Amino acid sequence: MSLLSVRDLEVKFVTRRATVHAVSGISFDLDAGETLGIVGESGCGKSVSSLAMLGILPKPAGRVTGGEVIFEDQDLLKLPDWQLRSIRGQDVAMIFQDPMTSLNPVLTIGRQLTESLRKHLDMDRKDAEEEAIRLLYRVGIPSAKDRLSDYPHQFSGGMRQRVMIAMAISCKPKILIADEPTTALDVTIQAQILEVLKQLVAEENMALILITHDLGVVAGVCGRTIVMYAGRFVEAASTKELFARPRHPYTLGLLKSVPRLDAARKDKLEPIDGVPRDLTKLFEGCAFAPRCAYATEESRERRPELVETDAPGHFVACWNPVPDADLPRIETIPVPTAREAAG
Amino acid sequence: MLKFIARRLLTLIPVLLGLSILVFAFVHALPGSPADSLLGERGTDEDQAKIEESLGLDRPLPIQYFFYMRNLLSGDLGTSVSTRRPVTEELGRYFPATVELGVAAMIFAIVLGVPLGFVAAKRYLGLLDNTSLFISLIGISFPVFFLGLLLKYVFAVKLGWLPTIGRVDVTRTFDHPTNFYVIDALVAGNPADLLDVLKHLLLPAIVLGTIPLAIVARITRAATLDVLSEDYVRTARAKGLDPRVVDRRHVLKNALLPVVTVIGLQTGLLLTGAVLTETIFAWPGVGSWYLNAIRFRDYAVLQGATLFFAFVVLMVNLAVDVSYGFLNPRIRYR
Amino acid sequence: MSVAQAGAAELRLEQGASLWTDAFDRFRHNLGAIVGVALILVFVIIAIFAPVIAPFDPNEQVGPLATNPAGPGNGHLFGLDDQGADLFSQIVYGARLSLLVGLVSVGVGLTLGLVLGSVAGYLGGWVDSFIMRVMDVMLPIPSFLLATGLVTILGRGLTQIMIAVGITNVPIFARLLRGTILGQREADYVLAARSVGVPGPRLLMAHILPNSIAPVIVQATLAMATAIIDVAGLSFIGLGPSDPGLPEWGKILSENASRLQQSVHLVFFPGFAIVLSVLGLNLIGDGLRESIDPKLRA
Repeated sequence: MSLLSVRDLEVKFVTRRATVHAVSGISFDLDAGETLGIVGESGCGKSVSSLAMLGILPKPAGRVTGGEVIFEDQDLLKLPDWQLRSIRGQDVAMIFQDPMTSLNPVLTIGRQLTESLRKHLDMDRKDAEEEAIRLLYRVGIPSAKDRLSDYPHQFSGGMRQRVMIAMAISCKPKILIADEPTTALDVTIQAQILEVLKQLVAEENMALILITHDLGVVAGVCGRTIVMYAGRFVEAASTKELFARPRHPYTLGLLKSVPRLDAARKDKLEPIDGVPRDLTKLFEGCAFAPRCAYATEESRERRPELVETDAPGHFVACWNPVPDADLPRIETIPVPTAREAAG
Repeated sequence: MLKFIARRLLTLIPVLLGLSILVFAFVHALPGSPADSLLGERGTDEDQAKIEESLGLDRPLPIQYFFYMRNLLSGDLGTSVSTRRPVTEELGRYFPATVELGVAAMIFAIVLGVPLGFVAAKRYLGLLDNTSLFISLIGISFPVFFLGLLLKYVFAVKLGWLPTIGRVDVTRTFDHPTNFYVIDALVAGNPADLLDVLKHLLLPAIVLGTIPLAIVARITRAATLDVLSEDYVRTARAKGLDPRVVDRRHVLKNALLPVVTVIGLQTGLLLTGAVLTETIFAWPGVGSWYLNAIRFRDYAVLQGATLFFAFVVLMVNLAVDVSYGFLNPRIRYR
Repeated sequence: MSVAQAGAAELRLEQGASLWTDAFDRFRHNLGAIVGVALILVFVIIAIFAPVIAPFDPNEQVGPLATNPAGPGNGHLFGLDDQGADLFSQIVYGARLSLLVGLVSVGVGLTLGLVLGSVAGYLGGWVDSFIMRVMDVMLPIPSFLLATGLVTILGRGLTQIMIAVGITNVPIFARLLRGTILGQREADYVLAARSVGVPGPRLLMAHILPNSIAPVIVQATLAMATAIIDVAGLSFIGLGPSDPGLPEWGKILSENASRLQQSVHLVFFPGFAIVLSVLGLNLIGDGLRESIDPKLRA
């Protein structure tokens, strides 16, 4: 029995000018302790899906127009807000992309840390503060006790993100959703933050949904990865399998577009041709068809659903999956963790 | 923090200096001289020259300026030509009246304006939002004196609910140690007196405070809208906090920062409005005093009062900056 | 950029919209702005066609002298004043005056302020500091009081009053323009133009100024509204235009303030004329501000 089951989730943004079909029917399961990566370019709907699951879409434009999100036998989409509030922050937590703007500039981080603890776990101030100190140590912030009375702008970017993580795990959530947690950070700090997340997953048996556009990030952290495009899931597989045998042309394009350190200088970059779909217009067929080298009439007329390939656990939504002959001959270069790199 | 205040005070000095020159120049550029108003039409040229000599007006300008500055720095703002009393004494009499009016007006503006703006922002584009926007637009389109006349007509003349002029009923007497009638009445201990003072204060305060009310409401609305779209509000919601807590601790605390600044900056507006409002309600404050000084070319009063106003405005601006630095941790911990 | 914004931006791209057509489009749909334009249009028409619209000459005695003049009725739409003249005609001609006042004073303030602000912003250095110090000294003085002071020096003719009110606007425009120019000076597109060899003054005129103009337009509209109120205020404290027979709304109001109880129409109509014209200008200014501001929250 999965921890979280999402079925046919649909999200739209309705404004006076146009309606944006941000998410058009996605489904997935998440087990306890699993690390799931959702990969896609900006605007593909990956962040919006999580906001919808937690009921914090920007109002009034954002609305869920279909599907269900089953968590612990309850459909989160049908719960009234006051009930959702006890799940948010406590059972399911979320951290966001830019830690500077995601923290309240006029409150000390001690206050922001103890907020959840006192609300969800009913702790009194003293206990909450002690727990907050422990949490800060846990995520690797030194002199935690002194830093409780500091403000967000007194921390560096990486530190702030650690504070966000500490805030999110404070009530020991079963699921942590990390929306582009490292995008706003330097590469070296990136590695550290991902390490912290991996440790937490291992120690707490916490499920992690990692949303990102960076393939390198999922490669290092996620056991399973889903590729999203134009509001739909196009491929889902274990990360190793996905990188070794990408079956969806979009996934293939993504992998090929990453510049490689060992490529010859004169090799050209290989971007994916075309522009992303205009999600204000409804369309028939596969979302990726206009940009796809393998597209056929069928691709343009009928929308493909996720079906399992011959490799078990590997699903792809495509009428013409990438044949073996076209698979890149890439050896998965193991990504050294921060610790290993330091020697 | 102290360094910040010290630095700001230092930048005030050249501004004040510039102002003193400006005021001096302005007053001496006024056509006519105090002698005109003192003598009336029948004064001869000799009489006029004599008076001007006694006032020191026949000396060359730079010398006059020197004396002016010397007196200024020792706290002497000169003597009123029309009443023969020191300007500082008259200030002490009239200024509290205006301050009382101004404070009452600001309280009115803030107590109504902030909640209005906040709720309008939360129900963005709703009926309340559009209505309050429209009303505040009308509010700033009303000239203060017209509003004053209208309200006076409706409430005081036609309905008779409130008194038409003055700060207090002439039949009531109590001591005025501070010249802030509200405080004086409180000190005197007679509730009927206090009520009367408040009744007299109500209408002028509403008239004076209407434009600030409109401005405060709009700024609060704009600031709240800005804050509502900030990431940290999303974080607070994602933490599952009670919406009222989110509003109070996360939204308001940040939205009020620019509002505080604006409130402080209204002082100049209040002074202007006071000049007009006091005329309508015969309120004995600096506004009417100043107008008379202009009419009678009372140099000393004009110089002293203008400098004083400018000084007050600058001081209030400084206080606003300091309190902003205090409220906003990003500036506090530089 | 959220999905919604990305989608909407693409929509705009497809329609080939520029900054101006976009702003105009938003303005068109703003109800307040439309009402404002309608109001101002009415006043402009009244002002231009005053001789045709006004039934009488504003200074001509068409009724009895009275201490408590009669209100609306008897062929006089707004009633009579104490000199027996028709109030409606006065209000109509007063529209001309107010419009003139608004345009001229803002014109004066805008031109002076623009020159000072551009020079300060573009040249920088001690020129900038000096000009801004002078502006800083002027700023703490409330504009109305400053106008009062200037009028007492310059005199009470209509021209002098307009200039005085205009001068009170100078610091605002100077600051505004200097700010935008400073911001634009370091902007990428300016660096790009410079790197291709575009000379200084041309840079200012052709590139920087057009982009800085939007907030100035907004401010100018609002300044017109303030100008009308300030001049009316000056009349109210007895410093209004001394030219005889000028049917300035504020003057009519102040002269009849004491007649409030008996002849309220003499206060009511000029007052509301002021309110409506100023409201129209404020609505337009607000509408413009919302149309042009890129941080539109729709």
